[in-house]
Amino acid sequence: MSVRKQWLRIASAAALLLGGAAVAEAQEIKFWTLSFDNPGVAKAFDKITKDFEAANPGVTVKIENRGTDEHKSALRVASGSDQAPDIFFMWAGLGLGGEFIKSGLALPMDKYYTEYKWDDEFIGPALSFSKQYTGGRYGVPFTFRGEALYYNKALFEKAGISTLPKTYDELVADADKLAKAGIPAITFGGTVNWHLMRLMDEILEVQCGPEKHDALMAMKVSWADEPCATKSFEELHKWTSKYMLKPFMGIDNNQAFNLFLAGKAAMMLEGNWLVGQLRNANKLADYGVFTFPGADRLYGFGEYNYISTKSKHPDAAAKFLDYLESAPVQQANVAVFGGSVNKNVKSDSKEPLDLAWQAIFADHDKVFVNGDQAFPLDVTTEYFRVINEVASDHLDPGKAAGELQKFISARK
Amino acid sequence: MNIRLSAPAQGFLLLAPAFLVYSVFAVYPMLDVAGLSFMKWNGLTADKQFVGFGNYLYVFTQDTVFWQAVRNTILWTLMSVIFPPAIGFALALALNQNIPGRSPLRALFYLPVVIAPIAVATIWRWMYDPFFGLFNATLTALGLERLIQDWLGDRNVALYAMFVASVWQTVGFSLVLFLAGLQNVSQTLVEASRIDGAGRFQTFRYVTLPALRPSIAIVLVLSVINSLKAFDIVYGMTGGGPAQSTQMLALWAFTQAMQLGDFGRGAAISVVLLLITIAIVIPYLRWTRSHEGAR
Repeated sequence: MSVRKQWLRIASAAALLLGGAAVAEAQEIKFWTLSFDNPGVAKAFDKITKDFEAANPGVTVKIENRGTDEHKSALRVASGSDQAPDIFFMWAGLGLGGEFIKSGLALPMDKYYTEYKWDDEFIGPALSFSKQYTGGRYGVPFTFRGEALYYNKALFEKAGISTLPKTYDELVADADKLAKAGIPAITFGGTVNWHLMRLMDEILEVQCGPEKHDALMAMKVSWADEPCATKSFEELHKWTSKYMLKPFMGIDNNQAFNLFLAGKAAMMLEGNWLVGQLRNANKLADYGVFTFPGADRLYGFGEYNYISTKSKHPDAAAKFLDYLESAPVQQANVAVFGGSVNKNVKSDSKEPLDLAWQAIFADHDKVFVNGDQAFPLDVTTEYFRVINEVASDHLDPGKAAGELQKFISARK
Repeated sequence: MNIRLSAPAQGFLLLAPAFLVYSVFAVYPMLDVAGLSFMKWNGLTADKQFVGFGNYLYVFTQDTVFWQAVRNTILWTLMSVIFPPAIGFALALALNQNIPGRSPLRALFYLPVVIAPIAVATIWRWMYDPFFGLFNATLTALGLERLIQDWLGDRNVALYAMFVASVWQTVGFSLVLFLAGLQNVSQTLVEASRIDGAGRFQTFRYVTLPALRPSIAIVLVLSVINSLKAFDIVYGMTGGGPAQSTQMLALWAFTQAMQLGDFGRGAAISVVLLLITIAIVIPYLRWTRSHEGAR
């Protein structure tokens, strides 16, 4: 081989290497999501990204985690710059996810739904959110979360509660039994406004029924004119004044969970993700779960991952999302993720809490979403304020619905 | 070639880089915020609508939190002008004496100033934890359960509890400025006043205090400015809660813009805050200067 040919080969190899490096550099997918509360989830994501990178040479996935408020702020800032992520996490639904879709930050994903056959891949309730928007399909289901009442079995037994409540009145009667036994019935963290909101949402569903509740959240009927809205605030006040572990306004949801784990309160209104946290705390056997009595629809919400319109690699981003939600990956992590939206994934868990959640999901075909996902952001803030004012005895519950309506009416 | 510049030209030339940086990073954003306060903008799209004084009208007449934030900001500022400077002044007088361990004590009192406010907020939040925090645990251990509070959850207590954390952090700042001022008090004048028969209080009142006037002015002006823009410690300790009862103007402006997506209203609140700051600080500076000139 001549010297010239040898040089040509070296030059070609170098060009290939450089080209490869250039591709690798060009294919970095930035994925912005929330901080992982559960260390198991962080570990699972680490493996998923490494496996994906190994199967797709030249593509790297960089995950950036933030707290909820910081994540929203970062997306808002990013939307006005060219530093937006390729993929971003956001809740589904018109309230939170809808804002980013309306603003043009989320890419329509119809072609990826066709290419990856996602309609055949996901469970119906989780998929339904992607069809709510005008102008196409947006986002890919990441999780579907249900929320229900977890209870401490030993404390229920101590209070003489042998059967789980079937109606709201029975739930209140059980809360009374717990109170008489010196046990706070339920715990919430007041510093994060959305935690206590869950109780108000559930009470509204029970007191107003699905149709009226939806109309109130859509602001199509007046809160001031609906007796069930006022009754709901009165019921909320009954819980915060008689049955809640106090003090609660100065603690957050994590502190409330630690108190729940320590047996300081009998119930906690949490999502199916709590099973993972109880598993980590080695306390699965001590707790049970039941849906909020009197509410026919399941309280829950969807979490989605969206591709940004600013992504330089939308195809690679879609490929990663397809991999993340694929049956093998979801099957391998079903325990740590606390379930899956992929309908081909089967949980082989024999844990009673996992089985209870499977039954809950199977029993409910209708869902109502959290107040902060149903309301626009400014109304959500006022909803939080009014709830907290009632909870801290600074607003007569009888006037709370009128106070909220005053804000709603003024914004029109 | 030998270029000669006049003294003013040299001055402007030296000022130019700083002026450029200041214009880009301070003046332009301020003007932009002022312009934004007349717009409706969600911060996500390029579309901005001119709404005139609509945002100001809203925050003054309809915003359920704005006036609470104004009241809290004024109260916070008043407390910040009184307590940290007073404590800092007392500490400076003590630490200006020739006492054992003076230098380590100075460092100890100054230490909280260098800690990031968000870290201070985290530390104090844990100390205020109603179940496991230092304060309630101590009160329980002392048999004073009746004094136990939900320090950050009770709206009648939360603002003051936060302020205690703020005092802990900021008192060292006043202390250092007062100490520097005390070093400049002429010992000749002090000794002369004593020879003339002045007591300790009279020496303090008629010699030390007048000499400290520039330091006092600086401490008070900076205290006003820093307290009006109080943000980090509130964000980290209560987030404005419970039920917005510890909300401040700076945090509410941020919340409106960055969390509720209404940059116009957020900008309007920021402009109001700026005007309040100017209205307080400029007359005070003018008054201080006129008094210095009169001396």
